[in-house]
Amino acid sequence: MSTAIEATDLVKVFGNIHALDGLSFTVKTGEIFGLIGPNGAGKTTALRVISTLLLPTSGTVKTFCLDVVSDAAEVRKIITYLPEEAGAYRNLSGWEYLEFMAKFNTKDKEETREMVREAAEITGLGERLKDKTKTYSKGMKRRLLVARALMNKPKLAILDEPTSGLDVLHAYHVREIIKRYVSEHSVTVLLSSHNMLEVEHLCDRVALLNKGKIVAEGKPQQLKEKFGSANLEEVFAKVVGFA
Amino acid sequence: MLKGFGNFLVKELKELVRDPKILLGMIILPLVMFPILGAIMNYAMQSEKEKAEKAMWLVVNNDGGNWSNLFISFLNYSAKVSVENKITITDDVASDLLKKYNTTQFIEIPSGFSANITEHTGGNSNVTASVNFYGVFSSAGMFESVGGSSLIDAFVYQFNRYWAPDVVDAEKSSIIKGKIQTGVDPSLLSRLMISQAIAMPITIMMLLTYSIQIAATSVAMEKEEKTLETLLTLPMDRLAILMGKLSGSIIVASVSALAYMFGFNYYMSSLTSTIPASTSIDLVSLGLVPSLFGYLLQGVSLFITLLSGLALAVIISAFAEDVKSAQSIVGYTYPFIFIPSFLLMYLDVNALPFALKIFIYAIPYSHPIIASKAVVMGDYLTAIMGILYVTTFTLVFLYLASRLFATEKILTAKLKFKGLRKREKTLTKEL
Repeated sequence: MSTAIEATDLVKVFGNIHALDGLSFTVKTGEIFGLIGPNGAGKTTALRVISTLLLPTSGTVKTFCLDVVSDAAEVRKIITYLPEEAGAYRNLSGWEYLEFMAKFNTKDKEETREMVREAAEITGLGERLKDKTKTYSKGMKRRLLVARALMNKPKLAILDEPTSGLDVLHAYHVREIIKRYVSEHSVTVLLSSHNMLEVEHLCDRVALLNKGKIVAEGKPQQLKEKFGSANLEEVFAKVVGFA
Repeated sequence: MLKGFGNFLVKELKELVRDPKILLGMIILPLVMFPILGAIMNYAMQSEKEKAEKAMWLVVNNDGGNWSNLFISFLNYSAKVSVENKITITDDVASDLLKKYNTTQFIEIPSGFSANITEHTGGNSNVTASVNFYGVFSSAGMFESVGGSSLIDAFVYQFNRYWAPDVVDAEKSSIIKGKIQTGVDPSLLSRLMISQAIAMPITIMMLLTYSIQIAATSVAMEKEEKTLETLLTLPMDRLAILMGKLSGSIIVASVSALAYMFGFNYYMSSLTSTIPASTSIDLVSLGLVPSLFGYLLQGVSLFITLLSGLALAVIISAFAEDVKSAQSIVGYTYPFIFIPSFLLMYLDVNALPFALKIFIYAIPYSHPIIASKAVVMGDYLTAIMGILYVTTFTLVFLYLASRLFATEKILTAKLKFKGLRKREKTLTKEL
């Protein structure tokens, strides 16, 4: 299995805050890798660096052998990024939004149509796609955005808190979308979450982040066994010394 | 070609056109603004008329008869009059006279004036006399001509009423760029030119404020609606985002400016409805319409200034956290648009005190207005120098804006509007 992401000694400093403090991890092609940790652990910063939004203060990240700093434009062709608090253009309909996004990936009209049709199916929003996104609930919007992030079958989908703020049903739907899409299209997924129970069910491997550093890494089952815990929440508490 | 530019521009236009706030501004604002403008104009005309009543009148008496002396006495009764005798009016003579008496208008009583009135009062009502009114027309002080011209009408009316109906009429001529244009009423010319002189600053003012507002809103909207992050990770040129924002703003602002001009022209047409329909003044033959080159300079000046304003708006709004803050922050640029616009609407930049003149020249947004007035008078150098000056600003702003979009600063730079204090980027949630 080849390497999708290789992060080495990643440091990101904002003023006097070390958001990332020597972060290193690798993600293999086709797996769902979860960065988990509490608020402020550095998950979002890590995802933003990998998705070419932020420059690392030091260290390197390679995505499918492309450096996220020197080959940023090439990296953007093979990734999609779903920010935690992402929105859609409020005056566009869901359909128009998907079409707008699809056109960045292909110039072929037929391919665009196919991409949008597939995304529409993923969203499960049906006729509501014709309405402007400002009329959508948070859950509907998130489904639209997840569909956008997956519709062009990226080599790497970076999803920041994909089910953040969603109710049980919407969260379940989004998780199902991700699982199905990865198995059907061999997409690699890097996601972050502070919901460790959710990650446990979704991810092949996870890295536990605290204060910009990885404090534990492995398959959820392995970690639970290693730390003699019932779930990842307990693992995390033990690792950082809460329990 | 910038990758993704076309797609992004279409999205921008859809978003902007569908924004109810923008549509509201296009309709509500003109309804408030035009009546205010009308009140200002009426006030300016009224005060010029009052000024003309108190001004000194120069009369060139080429007749020398009893009736001409009577006419001068009649004028003297209600105004201060200086008299010159027996001067043939030519372009040079007129200029010298105006300089000598430091005035902008004079009346000539032509030879035969007394003889004609005598014949008229003797029973031959077909014979009438006339006085010639000459008024200097300049793009500055256009209201002066309105005041003087309407005052001579009032004098003649009273004279006729006193002595004989319709015995004297006033023939009016304009002195434009030192040349006498016979038969061109400076008052009518002024009204036409006022509509143009005001129309240009108004259009420029509206176009600039609208574009700046739109550009600021559209950039801040990306932040407020949390779409910017996604946008920056798409396979498109970062410069295409900037150019899309600028182009979208220019297009929508131009449509908006057209809407304003439509409303403004409607308003002006009601204001100038007093001009007789039979009157036709050919501004082209009078040299008061810019040449093709002049129009070109005017267009370039406007475009460059617009681009400079937009680039500045993009930079400023990139530091705002939401639309409201962005709109408030760009509001600080408006005085630099409004002051030169209103000032240059009524005044000539060269007539301003030195310090104020330098201040106006230093503001990039003054230059399209200065250029529009300069090219009418054939002063291309002023327009070109202005373009060069504004181009420097524009290039600097565009470079800064492109740098901003090329780096992470577009995401991380933040200003808190209250006191414009730089916000600490320590919110743990964002890490």
